[in-house]
Formats: sequence, C-alpha cells, structure tokens
Amino acid sequence: MELLLIPFVFALVAMIIPQKAVRGYALIGALVSVVAGVVHAVNYVPSAEYLSIVKACTTMEGGLPFFLNYGYDGIGLTMVLLTNVIVFLILLSNYDNQSIAASKKFVALVFFMQFALLGVFLSLDGLLFYIFWELSLIPVFLIFLWFGAKGKRRALMKFFIYTFIGSLAMLFSLIYIRSYAPSFSIEDLVAAQLTTVSALWVFGGFFIAFAVKIPLFPFHTWQPETYTKSPMAGTMLLGALMLKMALFGMIRWMIPLAPEALHCMTEIIVVLGGLGVIYAAILAIKQNDMKTVFAYASISHVGLIAAGIIVLSLDALTGAMVQIVNHSFVAVGLFLAADIIDRRLGHRNLLELGGIAQQAPKFAFWFAVIIFAGVSVPLTSGFIGEFLLIKGIYGYNWIYGVLIGTTLILACVYSFRAYQLSMFGPSKGFEFPDLTWAEWLSFFIVTIVVVFLGVYPQFLIDMVEPGLQKLIEIVNVK
Amino acid sequence: MLALIILFLTALVTLFVGFAKKPLLTLSLSVLGLLGTGAALICQWYHPSDFLSSYEGVNMDAFAILFSLVAIIFTILIILSGFGQFKSRLDHTADYIGLLIFSLFGAIIMVSFQDMFMFFLGLEILSIPIYVMAGAKKDDPLSSESSLKYFITGAFATGILLFGIAWLYGATGTFKIYEIQQFFMEAEQISSLAYVGLLFILSAFLFKIGAAPFHFWSPDVYDGAPAPVTGFMAAVVKLGAFGAFIKLFTIAFSELYDFWMPALTFLAILTMFVGNLSAIRQVRFKRLLAYSSIAHVGYSLITMVVLTDNSALNLWYYLFSYGFATIALITVQMIVNDREDRIEAFKGLGRANPFVGFVAVVALLALAGVPPLMGFFGKFLIFADAIAQNPALIAVALLNSGIGIFYYLRTVIVILQKPGVDNEIEQSEFKTTPLQLIVLGICVLAMLFGGGLLMIH
Repeated sequence: MELLLIPFVFALVAMIIPQKAVRGYALIGALVSVVAGVVHAVNYVPSAEYLSIVKACTTMEGGLPFFLNYGYDGIGLTMVLLTNVIVFLILLSNYDNQSIAASKKFVALVFFMQFALLGVFLSLDGLLFYIFWELSLIPVFLIFLWFGAKGKRRALMKFFIYTFIGSLAMLFSLIYIRSYAPSFSIEDLVAAQLTTVSALWVFGGFFIAFAVKIPLFPFHTWQPETYTKSPMAGTMLLGALMLKMALFGMIRWMIPLAPEALHCMTEIIVVLGGLGVIYAAILAIKQNDMKTVFAYASISHVGLIAAGIIVLSLDALTGAMVQIVNHSFVAVGLFLAADIIDRRLGHRNLLELGGIAQQAPKFAFWFAVIIFAGVSVPLTSGFIGEFLLIKGIYGYNWIYGVLIGTTLILACVYSFRAYQLSMFGPSKGFEFPDLTWAEWLSFFIVTIVVVFLGVYPQFLIDMVEPGLQKLIEIVNVK
Repeated sequence: MLALIILFLTALVTLFVGFAKKPLLTLSLSVLGLLGTGAALICQWYHPSDFLSSYEGVNMDAFAILFSLVAIIFTILIILSGFGQFKSRLDHTADYIGLLIFSLFGAIIMVSFQDMFMFFLGLEILSIPIYVMAGAKKDDPLSSESSLKYFITGAFATGILLFGIAWLYGATGTFKIYEIQQFFMEAEQISSLAYVGLLFILSAFLFKIGAAPFHFWSPDVYDGAPAPVTGFMAAVVKLGAFGAFIKLFTIAFSELYDFWMPALTFLAILTMFVGNLSAIRQVRFKRLLAYSSIAHVGYSLITMVVLTDNSALNLWYYLFSYGFATIALITVQMIVNDREDRIEAFKGLGRANPFVGFVAVVALLALAGVPPLMGFFGKFLIFADAIAQNPALIAVALLNSGIGIFYYLRTVIVILQKPGVDNEIEQSEFKTTPLQLIVLGICVLAMLFGGGLLMIH
C-alpha cells in the first residue's frame, strides 16, 4: 500500500511547496520511494505466490464484482524496485536542467507517473491493471505537451492515438476473458477455460496493446518521432519504464491468460521481434541525430526481449528479466548522454560533433561505459541478459537464434559510430564543459548497477525465478 | 404522482413569478421546486404506496425514479449554468426556466408511462417547449433555423409515431404496454400490422435520440440553439427518449426481439461510425458535441441490442456519465463565448483559467472513455455486459472509441496550448459566473469520482 501511496502523496504535495525547494524535494521524494522498495525487497522471501491484498466490493444490483486486488511476486517486486530507482535517476539527471527540474508541474507529473507505473506492476486485478495502464498515459502526455520540442503536436497525436487504440484492444481482451471467469482477479482469469478461437481473440487484443507499447515491428512507427521530440525526461520515462510495462504485461497477463493461442502466435512474435531487431539496428546505423540513434537502438533491444519472452524457456525468461533491468538503466544513461550534448551545444547532430573527449574526459569515460553495457560486453548486465535470451531463442529454433544473434554485431556498429563521431576526431571548435555533480552521480549509479548485475546477477535471478517457473507451469498445464 | 404534481406546480409558479421581473427569485423558486420533486421521488422509492396510485397511466417504479432523478439533476445544473444567458433578457428569464421545467415534466412522463397514450403525451410535452427554446436567440438567424428545422422534422417524426401507434392498436387492440406484451406472448399468429407499427415507432425513436440515419437534424439544431438548450437536448431529452425507448422495447416488444434486434445492431454500428467520422472534420465546438453525441447514441444502443438483466441500469449509468461531461462542456462553451463558436477559440483556456481548463480536459477525456473517469466506467459496463453475446459488435465499438480519441484529443491539445501569438483570433476573456463555477465543480467531482458509484450497492 505505501508503495503506491508515497508517490501519489508526493505528487499532490508538489503542487504547494515553495518554488526554491522543488528540486531538492523531488530527489527526497524519489529517495523515500526507493527506500520503501528496498525494505519490501529485503523482507521478501522468494516464492511463486502473490503477496496480495484483496478488498472486495460488489457492484450495483449484483452485476459485476469489482475487486481492489493488488500485490506482488518476485517479478512484480523487481519491477517496483526498478521503477523507483529509475524515477530517482530521472529526477537526478534532470537536476541541472533548470527549465524542467525546477518546475512544480514536472515534478508532480513524474511522481504521478511513478504512481501509475507502480499500479500497473502491482495490480492483480484485470480492471485495475487496465485503469493504471491508461493512467500512465496522462502524465507522459502532459510532460510531452508542456516541455516537448518544436513540432511536437503531430508526434504527440500519433503517440497518443497509437497507444490508446492499443489499449482499447487490450480492454476488449480483458472483458472478453472476463465473460468466461467469475471475476477480474488474476487467479480467476488464469483459471478460465477458453476455446482456441476465443484464446486467439484474447491473445490478439493483448498482443496489439503490448506490440504498440514495446514497440514491435511493424507497430513501431510512432516511436522514433516521439522519442526525438519529447523532452529528455519524457524519453527516459517512455524508454526506460513505459515499454517495460508492456514486457511485464506479456509475462504477467498475456501468456498465462491465453496460452492456448501460443502455438500459432509464438512463431509470429519471434519473427516480428527478430525483424525489429535487425531492421531497427540497420536504421540506427544511418541516423545522424544522436537521440534517434538511441531510439532505434531501443526498438532493436526490446524486440529481442519480446522474442525471448515468447519462446518461454526458463533461460530466455530469466534473460529477459535481466535485460529489462539492464535496458532501463542503459536507456537512462544513453538518453542522458544525448541530452548533455544537447544542453551544452543546442543540437545533437552527429556530423557536426567531434572532439568532445578532449574537453570533457569524465563525460567521455562514463559515456563509454554505458555504450559498453549497451553492446553487451561481458561483465556488464547486458551480456548476461542477451546471452540468456539468445540461448533461449537458439533452443527454440537455431536459425532464429543465429539471425537475432547478429544484434550483437549491429549494436556495436551503431553505438560505436555514434560514440566515435561525437567524442573523437578533431574538435569542431566549441566549448564543452565537463559533467556537473548531478550528471556524474547519475552516470555513476547507472554504471554501478550495470556492472554489479554483470558480475553477480544471481540475486536478481533468485528473485524472479519462482515466478517464471510458475508461468511455465501454468502454460504446460493448459 | 406527487412528484409530477410538484413539478407541474413549480413550472406554473415559475412562469407567474416572472411578472415580478426578479430573476434571482425565479431561479431560487424553480431550483427549490426541482429539489422538492427530487425529494418526493426519493420518498416514493422508500414508500412505494402513494396517493392516486390507482391511476394506471404512469407508474413510478424503480426504473422511472432512477431516470427521473438524473433528469432533475441535469435540469438543475443546466438552469444554474445558463442563468447568465437567461438573465440577459430580463423579460424572458421566467419563460426560459419555466419551459425547461415543462420539458422535464414530459421527460419524466416518458420514463414512467404505462400506456401508449401517456407516452405520446409525454413526448409532446417534452418536445414542444424545446421547439420554442431552440429559437430563443431571436436576433440570430441560425437559432430560428434551428427552431424551425427541429419543429418540422420533429412534427413529422411525431406523425410517424402516431401512425405506428395506430397500426399497433389495430393489431393488438390495446394501448397498455403490459397488455401488448401479453398479447404477443399468447398470439398464435401476429398480424403484419404489428410489425409495420413497430417499425414506425422505431423510426420515431431513432429520430428523437438522433441515431443514424435519422440524425441529420441534430448538428444544425445543436449548433443554432442557445447553449443551455443544447445542453438540455443532449442530456435530458436524450435521457427521456432513451428511457421510453428501452422501456417500450423491453416490455411491449420483448417477444419480437428477433425481429428488431438485427436492424438495431446494424443501426448502432452505423450510428457510431457516422458520429465519429463526421466529428473529426468539425471546427465548431457545438457541432463537434452534436456528432460526438451521435457516436454516444451508438454506444448506448448496444444496451438494447444485447439485452441482459442489467441493460436498463447500464444505459442509465451511461447517460448519467455522458450528461455530466456534456453539461460541463456546454458550460465551458458559454464561458469561452466565441461568437462563431470555433474550437480554436479555446486556445489558451488552460493558462487563462486553469480550473475551467482542467474541467474541460476532464470532460473531454471522460467522453473519450479514459479511465478512471466516469465515462470509462459507463462504456465499460455496457461493453462488459454485451461481450459474451456479441464480441464482434464490441470490437467495432472499441474501434470507434479509438477513432473518437482523435477529435477529443485535438480539442484537449488546443485547450492546453499557449495563447495564440497570431492575431487572427481575438482572445476571449473567459468570464465566469459563480453559478457556472459551481456547476463545473459538481460536474468535475462527478466525473472524477463517479466510478465510485459502482462500488456502493
């Protein structure tokens, strides 16, 4: 309960605190959430059961039972912890961006977003899940509208309409499967007996919603434009957290609810994920805007995660969880790097950059570490995640494994190209001040997490494994 | 019965108090009378026995009480928010308010009738004041056009309805709806007269609620009528017409379900598409509202296509949520008060007057069906109830919600934008009256927390 309430209260209070204290207030608020998350994680004993709180309320005239049912298992808790840490990082990395970080509206919206995200990860009730899922759209929409770059209106409409239609498809699935079950609680929905055709309807609805949000090829067209036009904090929220909602949704809702449809859908999703991996990586190589490069890189990485989740081997699922965590941190790092350049120089065009490493060695160093994590160098968590994912996909079908494995090479190409063009070469004659303490600290935290998980991923794996095993069990039983 | 009497007296008293030319007195008396009517209805709920209960023309059952209460709430809100406009014509304040209350009287009869005769009377009492009110802006040709158009098409629809009732009487030999139901249950062979009558009655209803292909009057009439009247038509008239619609078709024609269901399915889908697709291109706000209301009629029709135990209640809840959002938007429209009623005139509303802007955004999102607003729960109840029987229809309805988000969102963006730097559109002043702020406050509270209604029993 307090997990959900803390960000909500902080969002409300943010409206009334004095202007000067906003930035400090934001960091303190985020830290409180992190501490609450850590306390829950320390007290948590890994098991396959949900620690749930059920409060039943019957509706009018004995019609539709409606439950406030929330709680977590290892997977949910991991996502909660991830959300809290990433929100803290987003606020920290924006600390020097006066126009955004000192705005009450911004801080309130970020906390509100955190509230919605935690709701998504904690809901054990279909309707509640959907409500939080939609709620998360509002703050990101407003951040985008109020702080976005020029020409945002088109991108904004595209983003909102895409995701909203996707969500409606999910609403269809939820109420459709609800007609086979006594209530919306996840246990009842999982226990519902579907025919193959109705399972396809349910699965398809979820799939559209999640494919848009992840985004999977060919539902990705909103993403690069949105990422590029939105303010850095918005990009981080989208890239590091919102798309994880969809990946989490696949594990928690889509697969266990309608596994009857898996036999026809697995192949499709693996192929779409694989196509996205290669296609987006190739596009990323050709981009000149640094943020667009990372936007396409993001499509490429999450395509791999989605493909890994759907093949449903324990290895791939574990890898997916590790990679979800890793990708969140790396995305924050990469978008922060792009934004640092943007803040200092006013543009992010790779062709006009160069020689930054001479002027800002600290920045160059940390940026390099993040890039290494992004291309899955051993000893970073990216390596663990991608290795397990590709191993799982290889086990499903070796051809797909090999093809998707090329991501390792392509990622090197676009990442190092972006790094090389911006950091090395002759200086183009501009001043580039080095990192401030807040930026440094953000990079430092990202690096610590990424390296720690790369060296010792076992505690994360222990946490998520019972839940993942239960998922495989559910699918096998059905 | 007591409620109806109080309401009728209120309307009369309002008219006569008008001679005193004290608008505030008129306002408080009429609101008091409406509240009294509501109280009488609530008494009726707890003590169903009532004097004059032997009269069989109307029956205040639970269904009628629920619909009537909502109609009364909406009327109070509209009178309050439109008071500024009524007051600007001192001579006529009482006439406007009195006519609205008479119309409400008709709406309440329409949700409580027991025979076709009372139903017809209710419909006429509901409609005639609106014909007059639509033309209340006498100096505006659009308003006169609206009034005339509504009158001619409305009179035509009434004629068709009467014709239908006559055919039905010819087939069944009775006006009472329960006897008609009985007749259809027992009849070995139903004469074709009944089917023709049913079709005529159906078309008249579709006209009144503004469903495609009988919707062409509604954008013009909504656009030309004074804003409070538009709000009244969207919220209360629709409520009355839908109440009568579902009552008649679930009681009198329940046995003919297989006959009218396919037609209604097709029309529901058509109505949704016509409303949503036409709304995309609108630049005037009230026309946008008109087309959006057509789309909402389409969603509401789903409750009748897929009849379950909860149909009437779902419809009630849906119209309840829709009415709050529409009244809020109409009030905002009166505050913006742009002469040509352009959507672009809403630009900068969010900055100039954050509260009004906030309410407008919430109302638009509620119409779009974004959770956790009341509009979402309205849609949700309808869809969740119908999906087991007709998943394809619900898929179409959800697709339409997706189209709908486009024009609602466009308006939201306009409201939240910075005030325009271009001088093409002069900036409105966004003047509010305290009464309007109260109305907006009530509406926004309802939209934000109305979902909680589902949790109480």
